[in-house]
Amino acid sequence: MSELFVVGISWRTAPVAIREKLAFRDEELASTLTSLTASLPVAEALLVSTCNRVEIYGVAKPGQDPAGEVRAFMARDRGLDPSAIGGVIYDHRGSAAIRHVFSVASALDSLVLGEAQILGQLKAAYSVAGGAGTSGPVLGRCLERAFGVAKRVRTETAIARGAANVSTVAVDLAGRVFDLAGKSVLVIGAGKMSTLAARHLRAQGAKHIVVTNRSPEKAEKLAAEIDGIAKPWAELEGLLAEADVAISSTGAREPILTKPLFKQVAKARRWRPMVVIDIAVPRDAEPAIGKLDGIYLYDIDDLERVVAANLAERAKAAEQAMKIVEHEASQFEHWVRSQGVVPTIRALREKFAQVAEAEVSKTLDLLARKEHTPAQQREAIQRLVQLVVNKLLHPPTVALREAAPDEAALRAEVLCDLFGLEPNDQQPALSEASPPDRPGQEASDSLERKAAT
Amino acid sequence: MTAQAQLGERLLSVSPSPAFWVALVAYTAASAALLVVLGGHQRARPIAITLVAIAFVAHGVDIGWRGTQHVHPAQSVREAIGLLSFIVTGGYLLASTRYRLTLGGAAVMPVSLVLLVAARLSPAGAAPEDLSSLGRIHISLATIGVGVFALASALSVIYLVEERALKKKKFETLAFKDKGAPLEALDRLSHRLVWVGFPLFTAALVLGAIWVSKLGESLDRPEYPLAAITWIAFASVLVMRQVYGWRGRRAARLTLMGFGAALIVLAIYLVRRMAG
Repeated sequence: MSELFVVGISWRTAPVAIREKLAFRDEELASTLTSLTASLPVAEALLVSTCNRVEIYGVAKPGQDPAGEVRAFMARDRGLDPSAIGGVIYDHRGSAAIRHVFSVASALDSLVLGEAQILGQLKAAYSVAGGAGTSGPVLGRCLERAFGVAKRVRTETAIARGAANVSTVAVDLAGRVFDLAGKSVLVIGAGKMSTLAARHLRAQGAKHIVVTNRSPEKAEKLAAEIDGIAKPWAELEGLLAEADVAISSTGAREPILTKPLFKQVAKARRWRPMVVIDIAVPRDAEPAIGKLDGIYLYDIDDLERVVAANLAERAKAAEQAMKIVEHEASQFEHWVRSQGVVPTIRALREKFAQVAEAEVSKTLDLLARKEHTPAQQREAIQRLVQLVVNKLLHPPTVALREAAPDEAALRAEVLCDLFGLEPNDQQPALSEASPPDRPGQEASDSLERKAAT
Repeated sequence: MTAQAQLGERLLSVSPSPAFWVALVAYTAASAALLVVLGGHQRARPIAITLVAIAFVAHGVDIGWRGTQHVHPAQSVREAIGLLSFIVTGGYLLASTRYRLTLGGAAVMPVSLVLLVAARLSPAGAAPEDLSSLGRIHISLATIGVGVFALASALSVIYLVEERALKKKKFETLAFKDKGAPLEALDRLSHRLVWVGFPLFTAALVLGAIWVSKLGESLDRPEYPLAAITWIAFASVLVMRQVYGWRGRRAARLTLMGFGAALIVLAIYLVRRMAG
């Protein structure tokens, strides 16, 4: 039976210093997969390389266990000594591998629980494997199922609910005060976090982004980066009066957004609501402005509190998500196991068909030799069926009779199980009930005798 | 007629229709389902909204059925309360197609249920006097006006709860976690509803005054100044917003004050009716 395996490293086991050494560039993926399947007993393979994990998902050729060789392959391919990464590289086989793939797709193994990126990255990796011709029926089905599981987990649990970083929390808070479409954003200062938040706000439909800074050059530069407009620092009060969301992250030692200033601003705005996000440390905004009507002020601690609460919620949801993964993995495992008996089923069907076809052909020949009455035709068909049954049952019957007592009992039990039999001890012994040694011979002879007359 | 039968007749002047019982069950189930959604089971939301829709339809059928029994929805304050609850449910259903108002629903549905029960199972009092067309129009307009104000007030309550959570940074509260409609949308919707309800209520007030003067009754009943207070409160909501830019918390509180006065008027009518 072909077994699924996973070999790789992730943020859980390896620091970035090792992850970056084992990472693959996008353009290297297809050739690596081709080389892997050509040189190792691997029937199907997929390679996912992100900033948090480098993993090979594969299907071993029947009877093979290539995980160790794949470990060495990964190290060699990246020019590393396999022993150097021995402590951080892991492998999973069979059911553990399936559970791992499903967990990764559902972002349960991600650094930020429930993040959405990994699913896209897995889909891209699957597409590359498809292009390289290294994904096959088992891996393909596993990945397709993993995508389905990820969707289930996202819709049925709170794993992806609530923003998980400071800049998206800022946007989320603003979105609770207004519908962000068409709103104006004022970026005060040039901090990286405020730039990110402004970009998120733009993505949510914010229309105008104005940047102001004590240094006009920095304001111009940042405005160009985020597709905004730079305005002079001296106009701060007027800019605040026009903005719906203000994100402040200057390096000022004293608050620049003071209560007297905001009293003027609130009045000029006719108390229209305004969200002020103060990401600076030391803080840019006096806490007292948050008490003014219509002003919603949040500092970095507030944002981090929300992030922590959201992550705690996600961790709770992960327990529920793991149950989904477990259930789906069991079902998939069942399917994989069923694939192991497919060749046997096919051979059994072919053999039965051959026997039936041979006997049908003989009977048709006999019937064609002369005309038969309907009664004779009916008798011929009955004999045909008897012949086919006898021939099919002959090998298992002989095997059952000739087996050692323990083995015979086991075989008998399997047969009862397969055919739903309930043997009755009162019935004649096996030797009495057995067909003739040459299965179907007696019936066939009889038919031929009749045909001759 | 036995004393028990007499009591039954007094309690249920017209026997409730099967639709009333369906509405009763659906309102209860919808309230419970909305609480389940609030508890974090978002998948239950379509079920909750479907139950609200079932309650709304059944409630409408019940009002229609009472019509066939010659019980006009504006025949008495008791009937008007039933209509009011129907309007509130309909408004909630309409608003929830656009916004996530789980918290609001969890608050509004039990109110609708209580109003419906009060309208159908409270003592009917004496047989309603013959109302003139003027009286019926007055009651109809007042009921619809107060119904619209009730919706505006429900949104104001949601606004105040959400606003408090955001302003006081109560990130662990249900109001924050539920992530309902944005404050601005709630404020805007509530304001629009006051705009719709105000002319209806004004017309009802004028027609009521004419009706009372035609009946020759005195104007010293407590409900009349309370109705005037309701009108002044809602007029202030509109004027203060237009002239001074009042919005948000202040407007929400004023809206609730006006609705509170309207509720007292309704209660006075209901108690007087029940007392016969």
